[in-house]
Amino acid sequence: MTRDVWKHLILVIGAIIVLAPFYMMLSYSFKSPGEIDRGVGGFFGAQEMMVDPRCVKLRDPNRDEIAAVAPQYPGKTDSEIRAAIMAQAEIDCSMRPVVFNYSKAFIEAPLLRYLLNGVIVTASIFIVQVLVALPAAYALAKLKFWGREAVFGLVLFCLLIPVHAIALPLYIMLAKVGLTNTYAALVVPWTISVFGIFLMRQFFMTVPDDLIDAARMDGMTEFAIVWRVMLPTAIPALLAFAIFSIVAHWNDYFWPRIVVTGSRDLFTPPLGLREFKGDADGSFFGPMMATATIIVTPLIVAFLVAQRRFIEGITLSGMK
Amino acid sequence: MAAIDAPAAARAPREVNRQARTAWGLTAPALALMFLILLVPVVVAGILSFTNYSLGNTGFDWVGFKNYDRLFSRSTYEKMFIATFTYVAVVVPVSVALGLGAALLVNSLGRIGDIYKTIFFLPVMATLLAMAIVWEFMLHPTIGVINQTLELSCGTFLEVVPFLANGCADGFPLWLGDRDYAIWVLCFIGIWQGFGFNMVLYLAGLTAVHRELYHAAEMDGAKSAWERFRLVTWPALGPTTVFVVTISCIRAFQVFDTVEAFWPQGGGPNKSTYVMMFAIFEKGVQQNLIGIGSAITMLFLVFVMFLTLIQRWLVERKVHY
Repeated sequence: MTRDVWKHLILVIGAIIVLAPFYMMLSYSFKSPGEIDRGVGGFFGAQEMMVDPRCVKLRDPNRDEIAAVAPQYPGKTDSEIRAAIMAQAEIDCSMRPVVFNYSKAFIEAPLLRYLLNGVIVTASIFIVQVLVALPAAYALAKLKFWGREAVFGLVLFCLLIPVHAIALPLYIMLAKVGLTNTYAALVVPWTISVFGIFLMRQFFMTVPDDLIDAARMDGMTEFAIVWRVMLPTAIPALLAFAIFSIVAHWNDYFWPRIVVTGSRDLFTPPLGLREFKGDADGSFFGPMMATATIIVTPLIVAFLVAQRRFIEGITLSGMK
Repeated sequence: MAAIDAPAAARAPREVNRQARTAWGLTAPALALMFLILLVPVVVAGILSFTNYSLGNTGFDWVGFKNYDRLFSRSTYEKMFIATFTYVAVVVPVSVALGLGAALLVNSLGRIGDIYKTIFFLPVMATLLAMAIVWEFMLHPTIGVINQTLELSCGTFLEVVPFLANGCADGFPLWLGDRDYAIWVLCFIGIWQGFGFNMVLYLAGLTAVHRELYHAAEMDGAKSAWERFRLVTWPALGPTTVFVVTISCIRAFQVFDTVEAFWPQGGGPNKSTYVMMFAIFEKGVQQNLIGIGSAITMLFLVFVMFLTLIQRWLVERKVHY
């Protein structure tokens, strides 16, 4: 029993270190700039009303605007009118820090666009990977043909090449055909997953031949067998592979950083966050942490909901 | 009999032929992409590493081994190798050891242990770039929570620790801005992010260790927990360890996100964190020095392939050391 206490003590210290940045990220995303600077306010901050200086500045009227509204303020001088408008602006622009941080995250940068790009890119990558890998895996596992060993040998060799490592020649090739700064550039290098082929082949090896023979008796073509017989049997393996692929590409920063320059329209979530950081001054720590929280949350929540499947998927490469 | 066999025999070669054609049809897209996306770039990088090519130029000159020569003579690249190998040499053993330790502790606690498993796995799932930015805030020299926490120890009995005493007197480290600390902070974040992954792989390995082996070891006089670990658990985890070490090495070699987030220009104070992936990005993509970038790419590929081949060789020998 006392031994267990020691174990818990060690693990709890580890857990505190592991969780610290998550705690700080959430906490900063709730607090006002002042609280962040001074390091006060506990986890949620005091949530006192704060005034957004940029918002107030935007409402500062120029001479024409003052002239336009002058009839509404009879008998007032211009500076009095301006003071009245600014006082109203301060009221309209004050909000709780948490509202300020999260609304700024969406207003200051097109965060929704980034998130949508993230979804488009990860989904396209996964779909194309399956379209390419599944037929190849079926042929390697279940069809006899001259050269099969050579093809499989090639797959094993290609497993040695990490795509990140050959990013530079890939980038040059894409630049040569004018594809940088397109969705295609974000997706193309990942369309071939030799790991996916290898994994699905190992899985298909365990599918009984009788199932395929029966389908052939029914007059199905090999192509139809792949999609109507093999695909349904492979759902559990595909689900694990989907998690593996989606987590890797949602979080990927290196490749998008290389092929997307300039146009914000193509930014994936990590790129968007990076740009946010680039032009952030001190008062924008809160909105930036809100952005980080929004980007990290989908996968973390999905992981907490379907833990066992996620761990299976992420560690796929370990199950041989 | 012969009358029935004959058509079947005649059909067989045609059937084989047909199957071969379908098979090539099914593998063709994968094969084409494998060549275009994985093999051609390796060849392209190999060729370009002997040239002074730049994007936008129409031609290029052959420069022989000049790019490789530079890699092994300039002090910038010496710093690159030192940073990369320091990172790998620290992150791999520590994250493997922590992963194993956490797996053993979590495993021995049964169902309650699962909560720690979930927590330790969180950094693996989180976008590393986002977490790097959070770490940067926490490590901020003045408003960062780490130095603020350390300052709390000033004036208390904790000041007997030399590190804290120095910090209270002369100010706490700048962490990311300090060339003596930068690479170690980078390693720490690498370990923080990766050890949960190793833990999960070890947990999977532990479920495969047979209970009877422990009983047998106890019969043979292995009384202490350490003896049981040394005689049963560690040898049984051999294949897992080979795999965990290889994958940790490959991941550590590829460190980039944290470096780029902390030091967008130049790879850290005094280039102390100028790792290979960042060098490829900076030289090849940002400065358009494709020749030198390709040479670093080739070296990188050699390292990674070498590691994987060692792993496969060890696995084929069915290691139980």
